[in-house]
Parts: sequence; structure tokens; C-alpha cells
Amino acid sequence: MADQPPQPLDVIQRWMQSVIVHPAGVAAGIDSASHTGEIEQGADRVDELICRSRAQTSIERLEVYSNAYKARLIEVLIGEYPAFVHALGEEAFVGLASGYLEVHPPASYTLGELGRFFADYLLETRPPNESEDGSPDWADFLIDLARLERCYSEVFDGPGIEELPPLDAERFRHLSPEQWITCRLVAAPCLRLAAYRFPVHEYASAVRHQQEPESPIAQVTRLAIHRREYVVRRTTIDAIQFGLLTRLVEGASIGQALEQLIEANSQAVVTADELSAWFRDWAAAGFFIGLAT
Amino acid sequence: MMPIPRCGHPNLGLGVGLRTVHFPYLLQHQPEVDWFEVISENFMDSRGRPRDVLDQLAERYPIVMHGVSLSIGSTDPLNLDYLRKLKSLADAVQAKWVSDHVCWTGVASRNSHDLLPLPYHEQSLQHVVERIRIVQDVLQRQLVLENPSSYVTFTASTMSEAEFVARMAEEADCGLLLDVNNIYVSSINHDFDPFEYLDAIPAHRVVQFHLAGHTNLGTHLIDTHDSHVTDPVWELYRKAHLLTGGASTLLEWDAKIPPFPIVHAEVMKARDYMSSALGSYRSRPANDQLQANSTVPHPATAVFAEVE
Repeated sequence: MADQPPQPLDVIQRWMQSVIVHPAGVAAGIDSASHTGEIEQGADRVDELICRSRAQTSIERLEVYSNAYKARLIEVLIGEYPAFVHALGEEAFVGLASGYLEVHPPASYTLGELGRFFADYLLETRPPNESEDGSPDWADFLIDLARLERCYSEVFDGPGIEELPPLDAERFRHLSPEQWITCRLVAAPCLRLAAYRFPVHEYASAVRHQQEPESPIAQVTRLAIHRREYVVRRTTIDAIQFGLLTRLVEGASIGQALEQLIEANSQAVVTADELSAWFRDWAAAGFFIGLAT
Repeated sequence: MMPIPRCGHPNLGLGVGLRTVHFPYLLQHQPEVDWFEVISENFMDSRGRPRDVLDQLAERYPIVMHGVSLSIGSTDPLNLDYLRKLKSLADAVQAKWVSDHVCWTGVASRNSHDLLPLPYHEQSLQHVVERIRIVQDVLQRQLVLENPSSYVTFTASTMSEAEFVARMAEEADCGLLLDVNNIYVSSINHDFDPFEYLDAIPAHRVVQFHLAGHTNLGTHLIDTHDSHVTDPVWELYRKAHLLTGGASTLLEWDAKIPPFPIVHAEVMKARDYMSSALGSYRSRPANDQLQANSTVPHPATAVFAEVE
């Protein structure tokens, strides 16, 4: 037991944390920390702070924490991004994830936040697209896959509609033409609209079903990602539906949304029957939870 | 005045740590289990399936909340937003008690998601005691704290972990969650007598026991929660039961998780060790073989999405 006054607790905690998370390992972490001045002991004198055991040196004992720190967090990321890991390969993923964790170390009390910035990190560190025509490349595929898998996580554990009464699709049938134009829809809190450059949803589903999917060919893919009965669902939608839904989710009335859609795309032709069918389908799928006329 | 056993908490019997892989089985079969312990952080923000399942189970089973991110020993300020969410969940599921660990998980706004050990001295003791009092005020209930497994000790320590934990519990007036596997793991790693550790603990403060499996790496043990409870740990449990008169007992299984009936059967073995006769684990061959598989301690578990 000690006969010297102890280092202040905050000093020893900052020191230990910096040592066990150091990317170059414990010994490098100790030496690096010794240069900050708070704790002067380098790796050769670390047993002045950390006791040896009968079987392990002080550094080996600290390495238990260091190894576990990285392994645990990467294990969580592998769990959140299974399709991404399948596409890239686990070995390469470990390297990529290690870099991510250095830039975005865990700060939240929940591991659910650990992967929040992964797609952003990929975007910031991606290699340049070298295709001659600028068409989406492998990196774009991986970034989109990461965006999709993060979206799944957020929709899965975020607010949903399970406790709410369903929006009766028949209500659309009884709206007068004026009401149609001016009414606004209240989007379900679990609805996400996202456009991808590849059919990443098919790839992700194949991986989750233990299949060995080929890397897909680029193809613009628009999805409505939502949740029903606590399971994440995704529905492929076309460009016109995507545009209309996006405007409605942003708060436009149906009339405004249609107007804006036609302004943006003069080729868009939607019949009243098509529109009516879409709204019924969207209500049945739980995209919307309310109707304000 | 005679101290009140278990700080006045009930003995809930033999429980199991709730894990997402068992959700379908539990909802379908509603097995006869005395109680469940949940990882607080996996549910306090959930507005999806995990929370829905917990709400359903809370209608049928007693629930205890066990956290991994309170960081009671950290020198960072306490996270009041976290504490408010913790209280809200505890109120909603009528948690029998709320527990966490005698540890710190990070500083400088970082969370290592590991249960990092403290040096045990007067300064750290007063720091922890003061924070426990604040947490108990915010939660408006007594906190229950668990002895961690650890892999380092500090030269600055002036007392044993058992003395620290005992004094902490008395001075802060909190309950103890005695993890018998952690005592055993740390006793091997730090070369102390686990039975002497038990003797130093104020028995009336023990609200709950934890049991779990560990991994023997030859030079040290790791608290992996990935296998059956070993014989030496069962023998420690036998003595702990004798000293305390019995307390709620829970099995943790967090990696390589088998089907629920196997996990439940493991905790039911505890009944065999509730007799008063002490065994003698030192003289019997232990089922604590060298292993070279999983070496990651599992203080925290993550929840992953279910997709159509």
C-alpha cells in the first residue's frame, strides 16, 4: 500500500484513460502521457503507479483494458453495420472502424450512439471518385450502405406509431376537392425518406438472410423507411412519389406539394385515381398518423 | 438496533439478465422466472421494441435496473440528464431497485464503456460517497452498487477493495450488489483471499448477488460472462448466502448466449448452494480450464435493429 500522497483522482483518471485508448498501444500511451507533465512516469517506471501481479507486468495488466476497449467498440459497430462489414470484409472494417473511433470516440452513456457519425466519417475520408464519367463508385456504395444501416438503427429504436390509432385510409375517399387541396398530413415520427445511388436495401437484406450478395450495379433507389409492429420496413418508391412525400413530410399541404412537384418536373403526370391510391397505401403503411383539413 | 437485512429490499429469488436474443422466447412462453434484471441504458431512451418488450415483462415479472454508465467514481460532473432518464424508467417499470458499479467509465466527456477501477484511498472514498448521496437524492431512492472485476490495482491504494466497498456502503448508506464471480476473478488477478473479502462486507447491505462465467487466460481471469459459473464461484456463493441469509440472485450471460432455458437452468443451480454446509473448493478440482476464446469483458450490451 502507498506511503506517498496519492495523485489527485482526476489526474490518475485522465492518465489511465489516455493510456488505454492510445492507438499505438499502452506503452506508447504511457510515454506520450509522460510528456504532458501531469504524470512523469514513462513506460519504464509505470510500476510506480500500477502494481504488477504475480503473472503480469504493469503494462500487460493495462493492456487488458486497452485491448478490450477497442475490441468491444468494434464488436458493437460490426453489430450495427453487418452488411457494410460483409461488403468490405471484417479485417478491413476493423482498420476503418479503428480510425473512426479515434476521430469519434464514444461520448454517450449509450452504445446506441456509437455509430452515429460513421457514414459522415466515411464521406470525409473517402478516396476520390476516379470514374471518368463521375458515376457512383465503390466508395459511394459503402457510404450509402452505412447511411441505410444507421437509418435502420434509428428507426428501430426511435419513436413509432404502435401506440397510436391508425389513420383511416377511407378518410381520403370522403374529402371534398377543396379539402384535398388544403389538407396537410402529419408524418409518422418513424418515417424516413432517403435516396441512394445503389439498391443498398436489397444488399443489406440479403446479408441479413445469410446470403452472399454480389456488389450491386449503381441504380438510383428511393426508399421510404418506416416501422410497423416494432419491425423496420422499407418500401421502394418512384421519383414522383418520393418528391411528393418529401414535400408533405416538410409540412406542405397536398395542393402545395403537387404544385411544387409539377414546377420541379413538368413531365410529372399523376391522375386523380393514382393519387388517391397512393394516399390510401401510405395511410395503410403507417406513413402518416393524422390529417388536418 | 439490529440492521435490516438487504437494506429492507425483498429477496426476489433467482433471476436472469434480460437479453434481446431471448425476447421472442419470453413473450411466447412466459416462463416461470422469479425476476429479470435489465441493462438500464438499453431501455432508457428506447421508444421501440426493446422498451415495448420491457413494458410487457414488467407487467408480469419484478424488474431490477442495472446500469453500466453511471460512472460514480469519475471526476467528470454527474450527468443529470442521464439521472433523470434513469429515474423516469425506474418509475415507469416500478423497478425494485437501481444498481450500477463501483467504478468510473470515462473522463473528459468520454465513455470507454468499460468499468474502470479506482485507486482505493480516503480521497477516492469521499469522492464516491459524496456522489452516491447526490445520485440517491436525484433518484429519490437508495442506490445499489456492485463490486467490479478488475485487472489492475494502484500503488496509491491504501485499503483493500473490500474495505473500500464496506466503508462506502456504510458512509453513503447505499446497498451492495455482490458479484461473486467478480470477487473470484479479482482475487486471482490480484492475489487475495476471496473468502476474506466476503468476511469484510457488511452482510446486511447486500441486496443482490450476481453470478456469471469467466475466462481463464492462464496469467489472469477475464469477466467474460460467456459460459457456465465455475465451481470456485459456486463455493463462494455458498458462503455469501450463508453470511447474508440469502438475497436476490441473478445470472448474467452476455456473450455466446445460449437458449433461454439453458441460462435459466444455470441460475437454478444456485438452490444447490443454499445449504449451510460450506464446501471446500480448494481441495476439489475446479471446472476452471484454460481457455483462449473470448477475452472481452462484457459490462455493456448493445441492441441492434430488426429489419423486415
